[in-house]
Amino acid sequence: MYGGDEVSAIVLDLGSYTCKAGYAGEDAPKAVFPSVVGSIYQAGATDEVKHEKDSDSMYDSENADKTKTRKLERLLIDPKEHPMLLAEPSFNTPQQREKAAELMFESYKVPALFLAKNAVLTSFASGRATSLVVDSGGGSTTIAAVHDGYVLQKAVSTSPIGGEFLTDCMMKSLESKGVMIKPRYSFKRKEIRPGEFQTVDLDIPNTTESYKLYSQRAVASDIKESVCRVPDTAFEESAYANVPMTPYELPDGQTIEIGADRFKIPDVLFNPSLVQTIPGMESFAGSASVSGLPQMVIESINRCDADIKRELFSSILLAGGTASMLQLKERLEKELMEEAPQAARVKVLASGNSIERRFSVWIGGSILASLGSFQQLWFSKAEYEEHGVSNIQRKCP
Amino acid sequence: MAFLRSYSNASSGMGVADDCKHIFLELQRKKTHRYVVFKIDEKRKEVIVEKIGGATESYDDFMASLPENDCRYAIYDFDFVTEENCQKSKIFFIAWSPSVSRIRAKMLYAASKDRFRRELDGVHYELQATDPSELDLEILRERAH
Repeated sequence: MYGGDEVSAIVLDLGSYTCKAGYAGEDAPKAVFPSVVGSIYQAGATDEVKHEKDSDSMYDSENADKTKTRKLERLLIDPKEHPMLLAEPSFNTPQQREKAAELMFESYKVPALFLAKNAVLTSFASGRATSLVVDSGGGSTTIAAVHDGYVLQKAVSTSPIGGEFLTDCMMKSLESKGVMIKPRYSFKRKEIRPGEFQTVDLDIPNTTESYKLYSQRAVASDIKESVCRVPDTAFEESAYANVPMTPYELPDGQTIEIGADRFKIPDVLFNPSLVQTIPGMESFAGSASVSGLPQMVIESINRCDADIKRELFSSILLAGGTASMLQLKERLEKELMEEAPQAARVKVLASGNSIERRFSVWIGGSILASLGSFQQLWFSKAEYEEHGVSNIQRKCP
Repeated sequence: MAFLRSYSNASSGMGVADDCKHIFLELQRKKTHRYVVFKIDEKRKEVIVEKIGGATESYDDFMASLPENDCRYAIYDFDFVTEENCQKSKIFFIAWSPSVSRIRAKMLYAASKDRFRRELDGVHYELQATDPSELDLEILRERAH
């Protein structure tokens, strides 16, 4: 048993797009930063940005180590002194969990560890022990059924369509219309007279293509978050041909206008085959095999036992950054009502608070790890040394 | 399978006070209570009995004893008459977690539910509710029939 009362635990949620880290008991993560690793080769000549693999598979990758180290440095903490609660993807295999536990104990020498599944934390944070969690984050969308605090493995499904994918669609679509997004670092903007700006291009040698792309994507992502909203019904090119254009000012002062794409891009979540019509994205191979959000929900629920189906339909929880998209909740509820069995009462729930919605996994972990009664449940270093790593499966099933 | 699941994934480790079980048995066997409301005492690290409703109290009395902005557990003894004119009774376990309550309370109650629920042997149906509409008497009736 580990008595962790005296020092507050560290809570980590390693997402595919951003990492969330902070102390247990706090309302929001202290540090939120992109899951990217920039490494410097040849005496600082190049700075290559590489996207961290999804946390799902990251326990194997070397970069995971780097990100974690960086994260711990960022928090200015010594991992040896704080118990650590690690949120893990709902579909992690026993092997991956053991690998994670080994990494934490061996490389970071944490005094105690707990692994909690993302979907369970989200479900609990919404006050439900049984629910269907739709977690649409940066790198992927995961649907998982939780029953009495357990993830039902047979009802977990994932799709590669998340916020990042939509950002790609936005960028390609803009490119096809001749819009070039200038990375923020490549120019300087000065106010020469009040209200009048001058943009000067800077020449920064030795920046890599990947860093340029990363910076462009940051802009495209902001465009997406600022203007996109999910259409009320399935997107049709003809119906949206005459929608009013929405202006957006790029960092360099250039104003672009976005019309039908405002609706078309978020609709990819519901209808992945729409990708085929976005110039530059035709090569996305998965579009035929990936189902839209409502189909994924129904398929997941159908894989569960008959007696909990009804309860799952009435507690569908939205979590993650992409799920905060305007009108997504309403659209999903509407489509599910049309397709769900007659007797089912469909209810899609999302926290009204956008911080809680985006960080539900982290916040759930933070509360859990700060409960007085939870302290007896940590998997301690002593237990790890005595019983071996496989004991993690029993301590954190 | 229950013994294999002595730990719930990410449970809170909250205990259960002895009288919870005792009072539940009174409701079940002696039918002296209509409902019981339970709350979590964080200092004592256990679930305790908060309120007991007498046998003559109504469903509205029960609803009124659930706080609007905090979570609770409750059991309710639902009496009804079947189509064959047969008097029946079903015990409902209710996890009350209103959407306006603090996220900490929601987390605490949801993470402690499985352990507590397993102490109460003989519950027929379980409901989780985030607003009063999910606890409509009609819903109980539908489940019980």
